[in-house]
Amino acid sequence: MNRVHVTKTILWMLTGLALAVALTRFAFGLGVTTNLTDTTPWGLWIGFDVMAGVALGAGGFVITAIFYILRQEKFHPLVRPAVLTALLGYIAVILSLLVDLGLPWNIWHMMIYWNPHSPLFEVGWCVMLYTTVLLLEFSPVPLAETSRWANIRRVLMKFRFPLVLLGIMLSTLHQSSLGSLFLITPFKSYPLWYTPLLPILFFISAIALGLMMVSFESLCTSWLYRRPAENNLVARLGSAARWVLGFYLLVRLLDLKISGNLALIFSGNWESWLFIAELLIMAIIPIILFSIPRVRHSATGQWIGSFLVVAGTILNRVNVGGLTMVGTTGEYYFPSWMEVSISAGIVAALALVFLFAIEKFQIWETRPREPESDPHVQPAFSRGGQTWLGSPSVAGRTRYSLAFIIAVAIGFALIPAHKIDSSGVVDIVAARALGGDTLFVDGNRDGFGVAFPHAAHIKAGKGKESCVGCHHMNLPLDRQSGCYSCHRGMYLTADAFGHDWHASAAGGNVACVDCHTRGEDRTAATARPCADCHKDLMPEGAAIKVNTYTVPSYADAMHDLCIPCHRQAAATNSDHPDLYRCPTCHNGKSPDWPTLAGRQPWKRRLNNHNILPVVSAGIEGPTP
Amino acid sequence: MSIAILTDVTKCIGCAECVVACKQVHGLDKDLPRVWQKNDGLSACSWTSVIQRPGNHYIRKQCRHCLEPACAASCPVGALHTTKSGAVIYDDQKCLGCRYCMTACPYGIPRYDWDRRVPYVRKCILCFERLERGLQPACTTACPTGATIFGERAELIAEGHRRIKAEPEKYLNRVWGEHEVGGTSVLYVSDIDLDFMAYKPGLDIALPTTTKKAMESVPPAFLGMGATMLGLNWIIKRRQKLQGQSEDKED
Repeated sequence: MNRVHVTKTILWMLTGLALAVALTRFAFGLGVTTNLTDTTPWGLWIGFDVMAGVALGAGGFVITAIFYILRQEKFHPLVRPAVLTALLGYIAVILSLLVDLGLPWNIWHMMIYWNPHSPLFEVGWCVMLYTTVLLLEFSPVPLAETSRWANIRRVLMKFRFPLVLLGIMLSTLHQSSLGSLFLITPFKSYPLWYTPLLPILFFISAIALGLMMVSFESLCTSWLYRRPAENNLVARLGSAARWVLGFYLLVRLLDLKISGNLALIFSGNWESWLFIAELLIMAIIPIILFSIPRVRHSATGQWIGSFLVVAGTILNRVNVGGLTMVGTTGEYYFPSWMEVSISAGIVAALALVFLFAIEKFQIWETRPREPESDPHVQPAFSRGGQTWLGSPSVAGRTRYSLAFIIAVAIGFALIPAHKIDSSGVVDIVAARALGGDTLFVDGNRDGFGVAFPHAAHIKAGKGKESCVGCHHMNLPLDRQSGCYSCHRGMYLTADAFGHDWHASAAGGNVACVDCHTRGEDRTAATARPCADCHKDLMPEGAAIKVNTYTVPSYADAMHDLCIPCHRQAAATNSDHPDLYRCPTCHNGKSPDWPTLAGRQPWKRRLNNHNILPVVSAGIEGPTP
Repeated sequence: MSIAILTDVTKCIGCAECVVACKQVHGLDKDLPRVWQKNDGLSACSWTSVIQRPGNHYIRKQCRHCLEPACAASCPVGALHTTKSGAVIYDDQKCLGCRYCMTACPYGIPRYDWDRRVPYVRKCILCFERLERGLQPACTTACPTGATIFGERAELIAEGHRRIKAEPEKYLNRVWGEHEVGGTSVLYVSDIDLDFMAYKPGLDIALPTTTKKAMESVPPAFLGMGATMLGLNWIIKRRQKLQGQSEDKED
């Protein structure tokens, strides 16, 4: 396996992983697959994929401007790769938008419902148009491989200059409008990043990034395919980039000086350090590196310089896109692994397309040797599988397919079933109990219940009287009884029965026919009621419905018990027409809102209601 | 006519009848504690909530219905828009789910159906359909103590100031919503400071103006860039041509 094989295998695996995760995201929604919240509605997919993705595509318009507008013909070798990267970059942006949007099938709505005041509307339109332009700019390259569409190619070549011009004009707009997106959040963006000049700063940094992105990918592919890099051209790009970056730095610092926020840089909080780090990585260190001619012309210097600008600009976009808002929102969002894998997978998939294109079409001056097409290589032998993999191209396909399929399987295996099933409901906070006297309480009814140590609860609740504490027939303000205060999942109705436990030899050891009559359907509806066996446990009119085997939550139990009766009383008693309405009980005088109002008077009054059943906690065995 | 809601924090007893009424009128689901919720009680199925502050203060939280709403200005398809009466409402059919409105709201109000496969943005819509039928919003109808009332905006601002003037020792001298973010349709008078409701208190600019300026410079930037590029191209082309000619002569 050579470099290309290893790289492609890894890329295929990342793509497979992302495919599994993407299917999960569409099947179960954003809530359980991402860490996005109502406070942080935009995360990695916007901050990195869209914001940084568009910026990384800037190479396309910068290089076409240098070559076609400024007529610097020596840069010709870089034009095709730059346009291809831009095209793939924008497709990546669109793909990640499709994953991120809640209603991706409505993405075309921007074409018919217009809101020109929205920066996002402007960005959306420009991205749509510019992707089309890039496609038209690039398509003569694959079309050159065949003579069938020569006419189309000729037309496209004729319109090349206007297309390039349009592409530059569109890029100017949306590169800057991405900054305008955050003009509307002066209330939560940190002042070191928030400025009315955001659109201009975004545009200038996009130019610098475009220059460096082209350099970076020239260096990457030269490493990958062991082909000579365009070091001379990269040195020229680096020389240009230092001026652009210098101008960027000047504008940004001057703007901070004018707005009076310059002192914030040295305030010592984490935002100030982030700002210093960002400027160092994105501008200051690269400017210094590219100003030294020896470094500028060395491959290592170019590697470091271009990587720093790329990484620093990504950091800048992520910072503006939300990272620096966490100080205001107070919520520390960190992407879930599923978000990360989708981002990585989209990049990997398009990197594969890029590698495919440079092997198949005339992208670089010298087409890199495709390692799979060499006819003189012996068929590979796999030691692990003890098989011949066939000719290099077949062996390659076998490897990649296998990597992809295994990664999809790994992806599905890694999907956290419990998180998906919970549909975002806060987890039960309860320890898994062990012991013989247990009850299987499945609060979320998701198959992941907890063993409930009954005896321990009775003991902790000081004897028999404590039963009502769990069965929701208790007095208000009995703090122990709000299950959700320790068992958060008890907001839901819970399964109080535990069928399998009753049937098991270790549990109730009840035969089927003890509850289900012979010859009838064995369903909950036809089974004998609990009260037949548990004679003392289920009083008449209990909120626990014996044939559904569910326990209502505390709030539901109280409301179902009180409100119907109050409503009846209100209808017949003209003195208290509002008896059933909320403020009768929730009268705002209690520190324990929203539990209930008052203290002792309530207990007394409720005792007078005579609705509390007399309960004893004896559990008899099943009747013979 | 611009309508409004005035909530008097001193009168609220926290009974949450407004919340129940809202849920009934709009047929909203039961709330479950979800990992993505803020702890202010609002969610995709609770469009209003009552938050408690220390010392038995209850504040009803809901969409402020800004006079110049940032959410509507940011929505790329205009799914959020203001009705004639002043309610900021949401169109399910237009939305594409970008959640820019949630990012742009200075009060953090819009909520998302994170658990749904087909999710929508949810927030108070000021019962605009009831208003068209000549009714009040459900919440103000339900309030048993008159803590939250419905009326004409100018009248309610006057009413707020009247209450403050009548009992200056009871109220803080401010009607929240009169000037914030260019004015809102949901107003508060209170005996405690309500600045905690906003991300940044004292922000009196209408937020849409921030992006409007940038958006207005889009057409000139577009054409200006095109003209600059063409001009540069022409100059360089000409210079290269002259250079070529002089080289020819030298040859």
